[in-house]
Amino acid sequence: MAEFVTVGRADEIEEGEAKAFPVNGAEIAVSRVSGTLYGFSDICTHRQCNLSLGGEIDGTSITCECHGSMFDMTTGEVLEGPATEPIATFPVREENGELLIEA
Amino acid sequence: MADPRTFVVVGAGLCGATAVATLRAEGFDGRIVLIGAEELPPYERPPLSKEYLRGEDPLEQILVRAPEWYADEQIEARFGTHVTQLDAKAREVVLAGGERVPFDTFLAATGGHNRRIEAPGSELPGVLDLRYVGDADRLREAVAGGARAVCVGMGFIGAEVAASLRTMGCDVTVIEIFETAMYRVLGGDIGRALEGIHRDHGVIMHFNDLVARFEGDGRLERVVTRGGRIVEADVAVVGVGTEPAVHIMAGTGLDQPGGIPVGPTMETTIPGVFAAGDVARHDHPVFGPMRVEHFDNALKMGETVAKNMLGAGQVFDDPHWFWSDQYDVQIQMAGFATTWDRMVVRGSLEDRSFCAFLLDAAGVLRSSVSIAWPRDVRRSFELIRKQVRPDPVALADPAVDLRTLVPGEG
Repeated sequence: MAEFVTVGRADEIEEGEAKAFPVNGAEIAVSRVSGTLYGFSDICTHRQCNLSLGGEIDGTSITCECHGSMFDMTTGEVLEGPATEPIATFPVREENGELLIEA
Repeated sequence: MADPRTFVVVGAGLCGATAVATLRAEGFDGRIVLIGAEELPPYERPPLSKEYLRGEDPLEQILVRAPEWYADEQIEARFGTHVTQLDAKAREVVLAGGERVPFDTFLAATGGHNRRIEAPGSELPGVLDLRYVGDADRLREAVAGGARAVCVGMGFIGAEVAASLRTMGCDVTVIEIFETAMYRVLGGDIGRALEGIHRDHGVIMHFNDLVARFEGDGRLERVVTRGGRIVEADVAVVGVGTEPAVHIMAGTGLDQPGGIPVGPTMETTIPGVFAAGDVARHDHPVFGPMRVEHFDNALKMGETVAKNMLGAGQVFDDPHWFWSDQYDVQIQMAGFATTWDRMVVRGSLEDRSFCAFLLDAAGVLRSSVSIAWPRDVRRSFELIRKQVRPDPVALADPAVDLRTLVPGEG
């Protein structure tokens, strides 16, 4: 069963930035947009680039730096190709200054 | 009640595959026929000079869609099928063998053919080129265990193949007609930065020279240049550009050597007949008539042309964007400029980490190019699309977010 895992401090995630954490064998990115934290797979489904490395965040979309695939970080859906498959999303929460991811 | 119309797409590459996917995504439930000359379902070509060539990524990973997707979406996929002609009057596509497929709306996404090199010996075994999966397989087999390789031409294909073959342990020599690497795309200053990267990786480059002939007894042994150089070689890879595959338009007046001419919405002068991707000479609202051979263009045109086949009438005004991966650096470029009056650099050409902005005489940003500095290329899209005249001081300052330079968004 999935459970919440503490991965670090919540203030590591700055507004408009994404940072990746290894959780149970997955690489999960967390970003903060207008104060809200979002968790999603860090691996682009097109050619497996890391979204957190240079991915451009605009609102709640993130665009892969390698080849331009754009995902909605709230749902994981593809907003622009070349990716055709969505990314997984993960619940995240902030508790006593700590960052927790459910995975 | 299904839509009674039939949409026929000829050309099963990225553009054609994206177009049929978009037709379904937009809700079109009528008949779609996707015809491609290759036996394989649509695949991405960029990895053929990189990850697929080097054996890092298998074929399944470079397919645009899984093979079963086409049947699942009720796309009539006719792979391995050659089209001989578009009969515009009868509104039918004529297949090799004579079968005729009627259409209401038609898309040519036939891509291009590799340009051949007119040099004696170019038919020798060991003289290869690169467009199809089979070409990449042949090249990989030819250099297995290390080889002396010559890249003829140092555009995209030559530069990427040179990088991959070095990574695979080959000795690599480049023969290029222009003065530096990717000169026609990047110009001299930026091209020389890329040239330096290749030199650091041990590629030998001969510029301002071209192949006189390929020599060998039964197979390639050496390449002789007009400049008198003799380069011993086991394999040569010719990458000297492409020509648009316009042959199916013979008799329509649209089979132009510069590509099938289309208006801003990608429709030809024949109503209901569209062209997109590498084969289209598109009347771009910002750059004027142009034919573009990049991956992202094939993708974006495929999406927009499908919407326009359904009547959306969208002008395609994408600023154009491409990338090229060579060794561990990525080159990116947006926009289009064959000449420019001023180049503003953010970062450092010498350190080979920069974004360069190309401005015309009026100070309008026409293009941006980066090596190992991709973020600012993406952030310049709106500046290029809106033909903004940005402050050069702000362009040069890495602390300035380019998105704030778009009027009304600062």
